[in-house]
Amino acid sequence: MAWRKRREIGKAGWGWTGFAGIISFIYFFPVLWIILTAFKSNADVLSVPPKFLFTPTLENFVSVFRRSYIPGQAAVDTGFDLFFFNSIYIAGTSVALALVIGTLAAYGFSRYPLRGNDTYMFIILTTRMLPPIIVIIPIFLMFRLAGLSGTYTGIIALYTAFNLPFTIWMMKSFFDELAPDIEDAGRLDGSSERRVFFKICLPQVRAGLAATAVFGLILTWNEFLFALLLTGIDTRTIPVAMAQTIGGDIGVRWGLLAAIETLFLIPVIVVVFALQKHLLRGVTFGTIKR
Amino acid sequence: MSTIALHNLTKRFGTLTAVDDIDLEVSAGEVLCLLGPSGCGKTTTLRMVAGLETATAGDVVIGGERVNHLTAAQRNVAMAFQFYALYPSLTVADNLAYPLHAEPIAEAERDRRVAQVAEVLELTHVLRRLPGQLAEGEKQRVSVGRAIIRDPNCFLFDEPLSRLDVQLRETMRGQIKEVLSNLKKATVIVTHDQFEALTMADRIAVMRDGVIEQVASPHDIFAKPSNIFVASFIGTPQMNLIPATILEPTQGVSNFDIGSQHIAIALKHRLRPGDRITLGIRPRSFELVAQQGPETILADVDLIEPMGAETLFHLAMQDHELRVVVDRARRASVGERLAVRFRPEHTHIFDANQQLMQP
Amino acid sequence: MAETALNDTRAPLGITELRAGNWRLALLVAVIVMTVSIIALPGEISFWVSLAAVLFVGLSIVINAWGNSPGPLLVAPALALLVVMNIFPLMWSFGLSFFKFRVNRLAPPKFTGLSNYEKILTDPTVWDRLQTTAIVVVLTVTTQMVVGFLLALLFEREFPLRRVLLMLVLTPMMLSFVAVGAFFRFYYEPTFGLLSQAVRVFTGEVFILQATPAGAMAGIVIADAWMWSPFVMLLVVAGLVSVPKYLYEAAEIDRASWWRKFRTITFPYIRSLLLLALLFRTIEAFKLFDIVFLITDGGPGTSTETIAVYVYRLGFQAFRTSQASALSYILLFVVIVLTNLYLYFARQRDAQV
Repeated sequence: MAWRKRREIGKAGWGWTGFAGIISFIYFFPVLWIILTAFKSNADVLSVPPKFLFTPTLENFVSVFRRSYIPGQAAVDTGFDLFFFNSIYIAGTSVALALVIGTLAAYGFSRYPLRGNDTYMFIILTTRMLPPIIVIIPIFLMFRLAGLSGTYTGIIALYTAFNLPFTIWMMKSFFDELAPDIEDAGRLDGSSERRVFFKICLPQVRAGLAATAVFGLILTWNEFLFALLLTGIDTRTIPVAMAQTIGGDIGVRWGLLAAIETLFLIPVIVVVFALQKHLLRGVTFGTIKR
Repeated sequence: MSTIALHNLTKRFGTLTAVDDIDLEVSAGEVLCLLGPSGCGKTTTLRMVAGLETATAGDVVIGGERVNHLTAAQRNVAMAFQFYALYPSLTVADNLAYPLHAEPIAEAERDRRVAQVAEVLELTHVLRRLPGQLAEGEKQRVSVGRAIIRDPNCFLFDEPLSRLDVQLRETMRGQIKEVLSNLKKATVIVTHDQFEALTMADRIAVMRDGVIEQVASPHDIFAKPSNIFVASFIGTPQMNLIPATILEPTQGVSNFDIGSQHIAIALKHRLRPGDRITLGIRPRSFELVAQQGPETILADVDLIEPMGAETLFHLAMQDHELRVVVDRARRASVGERLAVRFRPEHTHIFDANQQLMQP
Repeated sequence: MAETALNDTRAPLGITELRAGNWRLALLVAVIVMTVSIIALPGEISFWVSLAAVLFVGLSIVINAWGNSPGPLLVAPALALLVVMNIFPLMWSFGLSFFKFRVNRLAPPKFTGLSNYEKILTDPTVWDRLQTTAIVVVLTVTTQMVVGFLLALLFEREFPLRRVLLMLVLTPMMLSFVAVGAFFRFYYEPTFGLLSQAVRVFTGEVFILQATPAGAMAGIVIADAWMWSPFVMLLVVAGLVSVPKYLYEAAEIDRASWWRKFRTITFPYIRSLLLLALLFRTIEAFKLFDIVFLITDGGPGTSTETIAVYVYRLGFQAFRTSQASALSYILLFVVIVLTNLYLYFARQRDAQV
């Protein structure tokens, strides 16, 4: 009946907002609880029963970046300022590289199909779909032999390759959607192929570039297994550091962990909101457009 | 009784008034065409009859019963959609049978009726196909078939022929008219194509900006357009509309100033000197004459468009253009000066408010 | 432009023809060189020799593809990087899977033929882990499909604040596995975890979800399904909004019931997307690693150890490098088949839309 009503009127009212609100709240609750935990003092975090009302404190956020002293215990050096820097530096550089290389390749695959173009695209997607654990063994060996383990160069090169399939598929799907008439018009007006690419095609896929970059950043930022095995103490990224924080079972500082996660959440939520239009394409690596 | 009546029907979308206080009646067995340019509110009107839009004000009465509060399903109307709205995953036979599933009838009876409708619309050979595999004309017939397979209170057609090519359209016009004449139901057809309306309708309602400008039989709407809009909307080539000022009559003959020249015609209308009016003359009501006289207009040939059996001359008359249709045997060359005359009984006179003046 | 590459009418080079663009010959030479170097040379040198051989093949392919079109030039950097960082390591470990080799020993690789594959396929542990993986895949994908579908029915409607609420539901999908793993570990914590406390209200006893294999499995499935149901929702919503509105209007006129409308109109439009969601999530669930690693670490015992976690243990804890490679190749095969199916259906749908 509700279905029928919508079809007639075309819009559901505030009643649906209320219902969807309850469902969304339940769905979002685990995230919300982490955000709340981040603002709790250590005693409140561990309280039984759980506290819904508490005096918020910023101490967890402060101690993310600082050496913190808990009375009666040894100093704890979180090192998270370095890990945050590592994550941003590694993700940023590799996504930028992948975007440049991948966009060129996507344009090539889209406009100048090679013999066996589909096969190339399939192999490229497969390298993204296969379990990282399969590639990690040979890559681990290769890095050891080449002396790349624990270096920025190594992990950035790997992440660039890791982002490439995604970038190529995403950008190809955007290039494929452009109307070829405009490019042909440009060619008839005497534009060189380079000019057609830079002045006609690229400006039209600006939104696509932005979406690809942001999804790439999130994917890279979240990546755990490669980082776990291929980064050293100086190049460690946030996910590895977080995992190691909970790895030692005794004395996990949940408040601190929640604070790290909260810091990480905020950009993600903003991105989800801003990129809703491209989300479907993003999460399917550009294989489904609408 | 299968009748439709609309009383003071109004539809507003926000601040936009799509349908403005219209009244209309369609009797049983009658085919009414809602004709008008796009955006005039004709489709909205049809959708309010169907129950797909809710009226902002006014009543929809089907079969003598006020149905404002009923859903489309409860109104028991049959409708053919502009884009056919064939269910893409069902075969033609299943598409045709679709409306029958709401009725308590046996499968055998259902099959019989599908076969019967397919027979009438010449769809028997495509019954097993999916809509995607049909030609445009076949899709259109399926959508009509899905409407006529039922025994509804009335039939509604939204631009039924607009997606067909010209030849197919001509065949289908006749076919639909024949099918409808056997059904004896109130039928409303929405169209922007005047030929469709003129050939298929018993009565035509011309709409503009949410208002019905005139309701009349196809003959009357052509012969007696009630205002300038209807006059110019119906008939191709378009009617000539010449602004004129009335001069003093001489010996029972009206004199007009049409800008560049004066003409004298014997008209029965009550005309007051000094009034500004518009003369409406269909392009086929002219005749070319060799002799210039008080009743003739002089104009220069500007453009010649052969139309097959006839030829259309565009004549330039100072700041005005005349469209004149002549037999194709009549030749002329561009720049030539012609004298044309029109018959008083074929002249429409519109007053300053653009309304037709009665003789 | 595009035609030059497609309508390339040059006769293919014979395999014995000695030309720079003869990539078949290059490939043949490279394979021989790699095999010989792995057998005859110490690991380190054979690695570099192999890398050089692969790059040689790549160069040959690019030269071969070079026509009048800039295509090969545009894609070459990307392909080169992918070859070096993905394809080559895969090929190299493919080679390794035929040798006896342990990364923590100095002993040079010893050729053993198919014995690694034989060991893997006859190992009951492997079959047990595959079974565990299958259970995880079936449970989590089913849950995601059902929950995602219901969410889609909710969010397909236009209502006020839809975008904001949608954002709340879509957020889990964009979180890192580590964050999700940590969240749920926190919620499953026996003394102060939310879930344990909630259960204690009813039972009065301490509740340790991960104490039983079934509980631990449930813990993983809940976390993964929570994270990825919105993915299914996104796809289904895309299908639902692609249904032309006039079809529902026609069905309304035709007095079709809710169920009939769903079966004859809605479902055909979302069928292909449901299939794509199913395949995509199956591939992803098949390689589930991070969440298991963080929430249960495969425990209790090895009851939740998925095949991906097992490969990790085999390769990086037991250091049976070549056996892990062999197992990887079996997994790779499965993923390639699934990916192929996925792309096939994705292209099919693309052609329909």
